[in-house]
Amino acid sequence: MTIGFPLLTAIVAFPLAGMLAVLFLPRSRPGAVKLAANVITGLEFLLTLGLVAGFDPAAAGMQFVERADWIPAFHAQYYVGIDGISLLLILLASLLTFVATLSSWRAVGERVKEYYAFMLLLEVGMIGVFISLDLVLFYVFWEVMLVPMYFLIGIWGGARKLYAAIKFFLYTLFGSVVMLVGILLLYSHHHTFDLTAMIASGSPLPGALQTWAFLAFFLGFAIKVPMFPFHTWLPDAHVEAPTAGSVLLAGVLLKMGTYGFVRFSLPLLPDASRKFVPLLVALALIAIVYGALVSLMQKDMKRLVAYSSVSHMGFVMLGLFTFSPLAVKGAVLQMINHGLSTGALFLVVGVLYERRHTRQISEFGGLSARMPLYAAVFLIMTMSSIGLPGLNGFIGEFMILMGAWTVNWVWAAVAATGIVLGAGYMLWLYQRVMFGRLENPANQSLKDLSPRELATFLPLIVLVFWIGVFPKPFLRVLDKPVERILQIVQPGPEARLTGGEPAGVPRPLKPGRSTLSREGL
Amino acid sequence: MPEASHLAGLTYIVPELSLLGTAALAMFAHLFLPRRGRRLAGLVSLAGYAAAAGLLVLMPQTHGEVFSGALTADPFALYFKLSFLLAAVLTVVFAFRFFDVEKSEPGEVYYLLPLAVIGMMAAASSVDLITTYVAFELFAIPSYVLAGIFKKDNRSAEAGLKYFFLGTLSSGVMLLGMALVLGLTGETGYRAVAGVLATANSRVALTGMALFFAGLLFKGALVPFHQWAPDVYEGAPTPLVVFLSTAPKAAVFALLVRAMTLLFGRFEVQWSTLLQVVAIASMFWGNIAALLQRNVKRLLAYSSIAQAGTMAIGLAAWGETGRLAVLFYVVVYVVMNAAAFGMVLLVRKGQGFGENVEDFRGLVRKSPLAAASILVVLLSLTGIPPTAGFMGKYFLFAAAVDKGLYVLAVAGAVNSVISLFYYFRIGRAMFLEDDPAEAPLDGSPNPRLVLAAAALVLLVLGILPSLLGRFAAAAVLGR
Repeated sequence: MTIGFPLLTAIVAFPLAGMLAVLFLPRSRPGAVKLAANVITGLEFLLTLGLVAGFDPAAAGMQFVERADWIPAFHAQYYVGIDGISLLLILLASLLTFVATLSSWRAVGERVKEYYAFMLLLEVGMIGVFISLDLVLFYVFWEVMLVPMYFLIGIWGGARKLYAAIKFFLYTLFGSVVMLVGILLLYSHHHTFDLTAMIASGSPLPGALQTWAFLAFFLGFAIKVPMFPFHTWLPDAHVEAPTAGSVLLAGVLLKMGTYGFVRFSLPLLPDASRKFVPLLVALALIAIVYGALVSLMQKDMKRLVAYSSVSHMGFVMLGLFTFSPLAVKGAVLQMINHGLSTGALFLVVGVLYERRHTRQISEFGGLSARMPLYAAVFLIMTMSSIGLPGLNGFIGEFMILMGAWTVNWVWAAVAATGIVLGAGYMLWLYQRVMFGRLENPANQSLKDLSPRELATFLPLIVLVFWIGVFPKPFLRVLDKPVERILQIVQPGPEARLTGGEPAGVPRPLKPGRSTLSREGL
Repeated sequence: MPEASHLAGLTYIVPELSLLGTAALAMFAHLFLPRRGRRLAGLVSLAGYAAAAGLLVLMPQTHGEVFSGALTADPFALYFKLSFLLAAVLTVVFAFRFFDVEKSEPGEVYYLLPLAVIGMMAAASSVDLITTYVAFELFAIPSYVLAGIFKKDNRSAEAGLKYFFLGTLSSGVMLLGMALVLGLTGETGYRAVAGVLATANSRVALTGMALFFAGLLFKGALVPFHQWAPDVYEGAPTPLVVFLSTAPKAAVFALLVRAMTLLFGRFEVQWSTLLQVVAIASMFWGNIAALLQRNVKRLLAYSSIAQAGTMAIGLAAWGETGRLAVLFYVVVYVVMNAAAFGMVLLVRKGQGFGENVEDFRGLVRKSPLAAASILVVLLSLTGIPPTAGFMGKYFLFAAAVDKGLYVLAVAGAVNSVISLFYYFRIGRAMFLEDDPAEAPLDGSPNPRLVLAAAALVLLVLGILPSLLGRFAAAAVLGR
């Protein structure tokens, strides 16, 4: 489906134009720079809402497609378009960028112009990744994000910012360049970088090459997710990054890894994807449990939230590699949920850090008495992260567990322990920070949330409840794309039987169950 | 009639002749006008480059051979000639500022440079062994002098001498290789030689080829013939390093591509194997050694060894895709490497310029434009989009993967990551660190403007590579 107005191009170009505009504002007027950046990210969010208005959830295939020649000599095109999966992620990215921009109003005091310019450039990269249907274009946007993130951590970060920034850069660049070789491998087979044409050709890379390509993509995406054992850059980057950087890093950048798996690895490399299910599921389960256990041990609030991301992203990976429609949809929804709740939790930590310049849990206690509004917001986000029924986290995790159960009950059982542990570390965190007696004298004069701060949380809270109570509009857009991707990975019921066993032992499925999983919620 | 055909051939070397005239003019300006004349000589040479570039584009081209098969004037040669001129222009602009600060203006530079460029232009269009050797020496000899032009500066003098001794040795090796080929085939024209080689004793031919290429690899500073480069680049005056690190390398790649396609086409597989080893070794050696450097010029010297290795990927991945990638990357390399060395003309330290990584601390506060430009250049050198350096690497890797040379592509990719580490030590110094010494920015805006222009070019080509790729595609050598 092609429409007249190039809405996607507008959406990706607008923050870029905004960045240039911000750069040309006078350095002496930081207020004007902040205002401009907030208006730009706000308008950008409204623009992305325009996608919702024109989106047809019943349509198969990509929508809002635009296509133009780009590098004819190497068959690369400017080819963009979205389906339901990308739609949700674009909305998440533009919303979180707006929220992150709004949240930095007071947190950023120096080099204001550069800060907002990097934020806007980051947004260009994030949106670009989710709309690209040409692999070279995708790669360009994928890498464009590295530079602003490096500087956001390196300039406005904490004490070990230099170390964290270059570690983030080196890790992710390493994954990316290996992925580039994987992309070229696909190109040498298909002689195009056009994603839809590659899928439509119906002839994926042969045998061993497909395995290698899968591993190349795996490295790129797994570092980004990050999957165990490629996660070690994450706690450093998160802890040192400024609040807004952490919000976007956890909220959007990690999703690019899982998005990459579902958009590229599964449909382009279906045989290898099936082959690697045991490995990926094992790593996902380890991440779920390991991330949760490490979270329990943390003394720094931000580090705790960072490790909880490892655990939560493990859920998403588990959902994707069950290849059950229910779980895959749940995984995509869980990407959004994690973006909302973890993004919000980083903001929650940021609020305290801005006031006290420490994130040590032991520094706090009994804050609920001083900051009732803050306590309420923190509680909602804690519950969302835990997966309390009625809030968004529950829907996603439930769908993933249900889907996993139909394939192999052991997976679901192991993953469920992650939920229990998750409730443990989050509630314990909340208890230690908010309850008890307010003993530390430094906390006596803490101010509650300002209206601006409340405004940053408000859209997130609304969505947390909305998805929790009425997820249908979100799931409806996922039906078609997920169905299409799974048709490629799991062509028939026979394939499904051999696909998902960790030990490679076929375990027959009861037909009734798979129907259940398909109809599900 | 030979005479008539030679006269006809003259039309194809008009740009070279005009440049020769420029050199003579600049020489007389330097000799007969006092003091001010030196700068005038520089301006004359700049005008000469512009004129030569204009003539190159306007004058007719031919795929045939002129001067009894000594030269050709095909689009391939034209493409490289323009890149040499680009390097020379950037050099002269940087040199103006450098000489001002050094308070010494060796006017010889302004006519040695055009002479070296003429040599390179001849090398790019040479299709005959003897012409190739003469052209090679024609640009090598002025290069030695240029490296040592500051006679009283020990570092410069040492650089010149070192370059000269090792350079002549490599010329000798190359000549030996040519002699073997000549002795084996009895021919000097590339086409004629290739015809005889098709059936000749391959062991002798391969030995000749290896020696011939050894000479070229030396001039291109590829491992294992790279040892001279760091010393020469560190010691020679910065603006001349801009030239020495770009133009001769471009010329070497012109010679390599032509020799491989025309002369030794039969040994495609053998030279691919050789070049894969050279490429991988150069990338790893250059990048790992660069990790240890504090001096920016020395760091960039090692980095340019690695860059040449990257370019060699395109040669190793034989075929038109590989050659196209090399052509694209050569021009990008000239722009980004010239800009990278030009960076050393930004910050003042004592009587001269700050050459160490820490001299760039806090640059973003002193000149945001300069810091942003350098950042783009560094990203391009690393190969991160949206810069031309990424596009170049992407074309090179694509060519390698297309030929099934996966190890080569992976090695190239991994080396991007290694190089990030040291390129971003400069990035870190500029953006993330403060300068306690408050070293002043150099007063002249010209180097900064050139850098900004280079950064803009790298960005535009990174987003729209076809702007250059079109010309590269038109210039690719067919069989």
